[in-house]
Amino acid sequence: MAGKGGANPATYSPSPTIQKKKAPLFKEDWVRPDGRGFHQCRPAFFRTGAVNAASGSAYAEFGNTKVIVSVFGPRESKKAMMYSDTGRLNCNVSFTTFATPVRGQGSDHKEYTAMLHKALEGAIILESFPKTTVDVFALVLESSGSDLPVVISCASLALADAGIMMYDLVASVSVSCVSKNLVIDPIFEEENYQDGSLMITCMPSRYEITQLTVTGEWSTPKINEGMQLCLDACAKLAKIMRSCLKEAASDSKE
Amino acid sequence: MGLPNASDDLSSEMEVDAFRRLFPLRFFERHLAESIRPDGRPLGKARDTSVFLGAVASANGSALAKIGSTTMLTAIKMEVMTPSLESPDEGCIAIDFHMPPICSPIVRPGRPAEAAPVISKQLFDTISSSGLVNLKELSLVNGKAAWMAYLDVYCLDADGALFDAALLSAVSALSHLQIPAVAINDDGKIVLMSEEDGQKQAQEQVNKEKRKLTLKSIPFSLTCILHKNYILADPTAEEESIMETLVTIVLDSSGQLISLYKPGGSVLAHTSALQDCVALTRQRVKELKSILDEQNSVMEIEQD
Repeated sequence: MAGKGGANPATYSPSPTIQKKKAPLFKEDWVRPDGRGFHQCRPAFFRTGAVNAASGSAYAEFGNTKVIVSVFGPRESKKAMMYSDTGRLNCNVSFTTFATPVRGQGSDHKEYTAMLHKALEGAIILESFPKTTVDVFALVLESSGSDLPVVISCASLALADAGIMMYDLVASVSVSCVSKNLVIDPIFEEENYQDGSLMITCMPSRYEITQLTVTGEWSTPKINEGMQLCLDACAKLAKIMRSCLKEAASDSKE
Repeated sequence: MGLPNASDDLSSEMEVDAFRRLFPLRFFERHLAESIRPDGRPLGKARDTSVFLGAVASANGSALAKIGSTTMLTAIKMEVMTPSLESPDEGCIAIDFHMPPICSPIVRPGRPAEAAPVISKQLFDTISSSGLVNLKELSLVNGKAAWMAYLDVYCLDADGALFDAALLSAVSALSHLQIPAVAINDDGKIVLMSEEDGQKQAQEQVNKEKRKLTLKSIPFSLTCILHKNYILADPTAEEESIMETLVTIVLDSSGQLISLYKPGGSVLAHTSALQDCVALTRQRVKELKSILDEQNSVMEIEQD
């Protein structure tokens, strides 16, 4: 079978015979590939307690984007670490080999690990677990657009499930600028043709932003519009996350 | 579990949880003497098991298998390769087992778990030696093109008996696998065929219809712990960490022995113990086969 002569022979995945015509898709009066309105998010599904081996965990599903986040700790920091009287946060984001349409492309997103760390850092009360480390590990099972915002929201839910003290839940939403339209919670195809993207990570109850990234070309009114869209969506998302936590808590009481 | 005849240990003076942590072996042995395990199972019984086919929409075949809390997700992606000179009419299966850091507190990013390559190799050996897949069925054009099936198993939650769950999800995914319909284009490349252009290029078709592999004698496994005279089927992670002698037996669906692993351990396996393990595995194979058959028939009904 495989690996008879060491390395696997070069392979390719068969492409469709008809190349999709992409240009007219995003002209004047285009419709989103999944039929959503421009300012409509995909239905969000959250469930806590996905991984029993972890201190806390959560599973999130937004359309075909599926993510699991496990939280371990607070536990002993690595031996090489210097003494610290506040807690440490350690994050990692990885992809399954089958997450992306072309096998094994998920490793292109090395920056997600650092961005997840920065997005959560401000929301966690690090003073509540001095000298120890909390590990937040995410695995993207299937990637279908807006991966990082889903990972961040899911991670904050997993932290809450693990009982790590936070100022508030962290919710994250992105918008893409495609030709003249702003589309919220973009899918993979839309992200590929976007002119710019904007992602907000915030603590909705406190109305505080932990991370804001803007890429591409934006005008000031567009940025304002995009930010307002994201903030509104974040508030709604946080409500869904909160109700998921309440549900889990009432289940465990019974 | 504070039994009254506790003259030689502290179990009568201590909370159950504390006793479990401080004297795990004694905690387990007192259960074993009563022929029951801490999770309420009899010694020879496996945990609740379920299989869900088609868990990964973008893959050609996929399955999610759960044994107790141990969860495995397998997806198969089909790619095209040039077959090797020695076997021009055969395709290939590449099997990989991954333990991402989410699955267990022991695994840290950048430091792969020791168990992962071992299980990877065991899976590959079991699936190739059982003759489950006829590699000739993966051929497309003799000497020019053949399928390479990338089979990736991800452990999502590790709670013991990892190999059993990994093998179950791998064979389930293979039973769910649909080979896509493809044609060969003018450049000699293999391309996917959609419904409407099927007729136009009838002369170039290589694989006319979506089809399934014919799987024969599906292998299933059961891991047991040997401890003193006890045999514990389907151990949890806690049990595996306390009692270290494991025996894994793989049988095919007709009950033939495919492989037997006993990677060391402090307990020597006598013939009678091994025979008992095989008997337990026989029963387990029947259970697993009916679970998988049931899922496959559900899938067929849904497709009709």
